[in-house]
Amino acid sequence: MQSLSIAATGMMAQQLNVEVISNNIANMSTSGFKRQRAEFQDLLYQNLRRVGSASSDAGTVVPAGVQVGLGVKTGSVYRITTQGNLDNTEAPLDIAIQGRGYFRVDLPNGETAYTRAGNFSRDPNGQIVTSDGYVVQPGITIPEDAIDITINAQGQVQATLQGETEAVVVGQFDLATFANAPGLDPIGDNYFVETAASGAPNIGAPGDQGYGTLLQKFLETSNVNAVSEISSLITAQRAYEMNAKVITASDEMMSVTSNLR
Amino acid sequence: MENALLIGLTRQMTLKREMALVANNLANMNTTGFKAEQPLFEEYLMPVARDDSPNKRLSFVLDRGVQRNLADGGLKTTDNPMDFAISGDGFFKVQTPEGIRYTRNGHFQLDGTGRLVTDNGHPLLAEGDAPVFFSTEETEIEVAADGTISTELGERGKITVVAFDNPRDMKKTGNNMFETDQPEIEAEGTRIIQGALESSNVQAIEEMTRMIDVLRSYTSASKLVEQADEMKRRAIQELGGRNN
Repeated sequence: MQSLSIAATGMMAQQLNVEVISNNIANMSTSGFKRQRAEFQDLLYQNLRRVGSASSDAGTVVPAGVQVGLGVKTGSVYRITTQGNLDNTEAPLDIAIQGRGYFRVDLPNGETAYTRAGNFSRDPNGQIVTSDGYVVQPGITIPEDAIDITINAQGQVQATLQGETEAVVVGQFDLATFANAPGLDPIGDNYFVETAASGAPNIGAPGDQGYGTLLQKFLETSNVNAVSEISSLITAQRAYEMNAKVITASDEMMSVTSNLR
Repeated sequence: MENALLIGLTRQMTLKREMALVANNLANMNTTGFKAEQPLFEEYLMPVARDDSPNKRLSFVLDRGVQRNLADGGLKTTDNPMDFAISGDGFFKVQTPEGIRYTRNGHFQLDGTGRLVTDNGHPLLAEGDAPVFFSTEETEIEVAADGTISTELGERGKITVVAFDNPRDMKKTGNNMFETDQPEIEAEGTRIIQGALESSNVQAIEEMTRMIDVLRSYTSASKLVEQADEMKRRAIQELGGRNN
């Protein structure tokens, strides 16, 4: 029975759909998280009677052949990189990106990762690091006696030192953009690494054309929309159930056949 | 005598195939741009051996074709700027290694070179059969209802939407693609909607009722075969039994 395996592909696809949706819902409050969506494609078609084949020697052709599809497969699970909302946290080293850019982070293995989660802190040396302690490039050190840190939209980091009235510039953030940001490879902990699909990073300063600007004391929330996730979940669950019903019905047909004798 | 078995068999064969179509429709309930299909059956009249035969004419079932429902599926907004839905009769044109293919699935993305491609990496063709490229400076991509693409750098081409005289004649090749030899004609009255995808036009309720119908018809066709078999068995037993 073909219908058994066809329905099985349908159930597997819907299971993946539910997995993607549950990951989105689980990351609803993850800073800088971008929601994902599963995209499906139909499988090969079996031609039992070809469209357009000659149906007589008078030149008539079959207007609609018999094509039986063999089910469904996952085409891609793609990330929708729309801007998330901005959440005011009041922490001086929480930085949100408004626009397309990514922060660059040095991983312990020497590779560079990219992230949009701007919840940074200072390490014992005063360097700006991520919540995992990885240095945010290009490596900005805040002097120990700084009493106030200001980061402007163009990424300039200024510190007001004790006993001084003028703020001094201590560093400058830069951002990376990609030709195809959804093609970045997520490695967990809100980090991404570059792939052949994303293209090479272009480095620029915040405020440059296409890079986006920074906003201090804000964090970008995830762009998951709870209402649309729940409605997708309902659709996926019902589709799963219906495919299961097809399996039951196909099974019953087979049992009818095997009970003939 | 054998005819009852064979007629029952033709029905069962076609029902099995119809079940496969129902299963495929339901499996693709969430496939973007999918078009539901249903089989067309035809009666095949068996010519009788003699005109004055006392037999009735026999008729078998044949599946003659698959009819595709080309109605628009619902629009599902995704807010992704690279997702496009076509409202009205028309197809996107995609260059694949096997040749030009057509699709209603408007989910595209950029590849590493900034080219607009499908999930499988095949480029979407815009006006003049050229792929669409974006540079890294272009962040705001806007597609108008007529397919005109514009960014910060101005107009960047126009997505082609083509139509055909007989779209039902197109062949599905999988991956949401269609293939045809028909000449392209200009699509009329179509609109491109950015940030949305056309969902599959499979009607779940219709498919479920069809599934029940197939199951019951199969059971009764199988009953017919069973009874014909039983008749034959009895005939052999009673007529061909021991002569005593």
